Amino acid sequence: MFRYYLSLGFRSLRRNPVLTTLMVLTLSVGVAASITTLTILHAMSGDPIPHKSDRLLVPLIDNQPVDNPSEDGEPPEQLTYMDAMALWEKKGAFRQTPLYGLGPAIDSGRADLPPFFTEGVAVSRDFFAMFDAPVRHGGAWSEEDDRRGAQVAVISSSLSERLFDKGVDPVGRKLRISDHDFSIVGVLAPWNPVPKMYRLIGGERFDSSEDVFLPMRTAIALEMDRNGSMDCSSDPPAPGFKGILQSECNWVQYWVEVEKTADRAAYADYLAAYVNEQKALGRFGKPINNRLRNLREWMDFLGVVDDDTRTSTWLAFAFLLVCLVNTVGLLLAKFSARPGEIGVRRALGATRGDVFRQYLTEAAVIGIVGALIGLLLTWAALAYIRSMDEGMALVTRLDGGMLLMAVGLSVAASVFAGLLPTWRACQVVPALQLKSQ
Amino acid sequence: MLKMQNLSKVYRTHMIETQALRGFDIHVREGEFVAVTGPSGSGKTTFLNIAGLLEEFSSGQYLIDNVNVAGLDDNARSRLRNEKIGFIFQGFNLIPDLNLFDNVDVPLRYRGFNAAERKRRIEQALTQVGLASRQKHYPAELSGGQQQRVAIARALAGSPKLLLADEPTGNLDSNMARGVMELLEEINAAGTTILMVTHDPELAARAQRNVHIIDGQVSDLTDQTNRALASLSVSPESA
Repeated sequence: MFRYYLSLGFRSLRRNPVLTTLMVLTLSVGVAASITTLTILHAMSGDPIPHKSDRLLVPLIDNQPVDNPSEDGEPPEQLTYMDAMALWEKKGAFRQTPLYGLGPAIDSGRADLPPFFTEGVAVSRDFFAMFDAPVRHGGAWSEEDDRRGAQVAVISSSLSERLFDKGVDPVGRKLRISDHDFSIVGVLAPWNPVPKMYRLIGGERFDSSEDVFLPMRTAIALEMDRNGSMDCSSDPPAPGFKGILQSECNWVQYWVEVEKTADRAAYADYLAAYVNEQKALGRFGKPINNRLRNLREWMDFLGVVDDDTRTSTWLAFAFLLVCLVNTVGLLLAKFSARPGEIGVRRALGATRGDVFRQYLTEAAVIGIVGALIGLLLTWAALAYIRSMDEGMALVTRLDGGMLLMAVGLSVAASVFAGLLPTWRACQVVPALQLKSQ
Repeated sequence: MLKMQNLSKVYRTHMIETQALRGFDIHVREGEFVAVTGPSGSGKTTFLNIAGLLEEFSSGQYLIDNVNVAGLDDNARSRLRNEKIGFIFQGFNLIPDLNLFDNVDVPLRYRGFNAAERKRRIEQALTQVGLASRQKHYPAELSGGQQQRVAIARALAGSPKLLLADEPTGNLDSNMARGVMELLEEINAAGTTILMVTHDPELAARAQRNVHIIDGQVSDLTDQTNRALASLSVSPESA
């Protein structure tokens, strides 16, 4: 019977084409507004690595001087080089990596491709396993490379394709990065975690991943400049790069991965023990003020989803509600124009339940058509946002889940809007209608 | 086939109470062709609506094909209506955006027949009314007489035991009316009981039995006619 109702619903679209068009448009505009904002919100607030986001932790240490605490009582959002390296060398967790942003210059040596600047990060070999970086060729560098600061690099697939022919495996080839020769040990497959969870500060949160990944010690040894933020509570003890390394300036991000969620408490203790050890050496005048947040908590703390996005999502849903109220009115008008048909169907054996199902299905059909047009409008709206702001490219992709959501939302909205008109249709007294036909 | 005893129907509004039927008794036997006549407002349509289970009655008893209708819920009444009763209306009441095939299909859908059975019944019914070749046409493409034939096909497709016709020729010219009437007679001859409300004495005369309703009650037409003739000193036989 449902197929019968469905076919009647599609046929009914042709009846009262003006009303039908108005309803479909009202619904589709409401759905498009909601799905557009929801797509962005969903992408921004999504968990890019759900199977381990509770095991990836950001440890923070408060190295602010006693007389100059932060306003909100929070420790700085990055570590000093000294602390990051000390924690890394002690390897107190299952995996760990320091991280800082680079802006390396790439020289391909090709006449047709002049040197260019790109984005990079200095990390440890654990970084790739910690954040599930997908490997196309080769892999991460070795522990030994990490230890001795080898001039090796992992590059992105897009950089590889830019420098070499597509399909070529460049592992083992040399590449000149910021005037130093590096050996390529790995090429990543396209990798666009949204948001870019490992670098939520000092980089574009919704940009694709970097082109160049270098060992931490190598970047430091080559004094590669930091491409990111730094905050200093006191002047560095010496000028230049070396001074920064010895300073209380916070500019290195640090991540650890614990093997089990339960290991988090142990790492917090480990961090506290480290701070106490440093206190004994005369650092950290303040009482212990550490933080250990997992990825989701870190995203919440940093407000990865800004309030504007949340507000516009609420507004879009409020707009959908207004569209729904309009649809209720239009459906009332459409259904109330047909008491005769309802009377005939009742006389021919339809129960009230049959009429209810038929008309609710008809409302759902309007929802299906509304969803299709709504998806077109959503696609156009997202394309427009992308064209206005390239940084939004990764969060304005309409995925399968959102497609289903749009159809579901539209059908649910139209069925909801159809409840009152359908109930009214079921109240038609057939005897009154048949004589007046 | 249809038996009403001491049936009454009262319409109530805030202000007034209207007795549409009172002490209404009628017994229609299986296979009969009964014409129901009466002046406007006498209760003919109310009677037909109650007979067709489209309206509930206030008191009394109503049996259709030995099923007591009192106390049946909406679903049971709809099922009973679908299985046992066919309707023919003065205004045809075809659904304009369904073609003839789909119009005749409507009651069969609610009956739950499978597609093959529905097709067989639709084609048989449309053949019976002489419109088999126009299955794909829409009601607006047909004359009034043809539309009424489609309505008859729709009523027949479910093989009802009782056909209720409310002024079936009221909107037709005399030629078309005659055709429709002949069709109803054929259907009756094949065994279907027909209850037809009409204003047309000529059509009423073609039924096997006439029931006259006045002021919501059945009035024995033969008896009344005889009394009227007697008052004019004319014997019924010579009249």
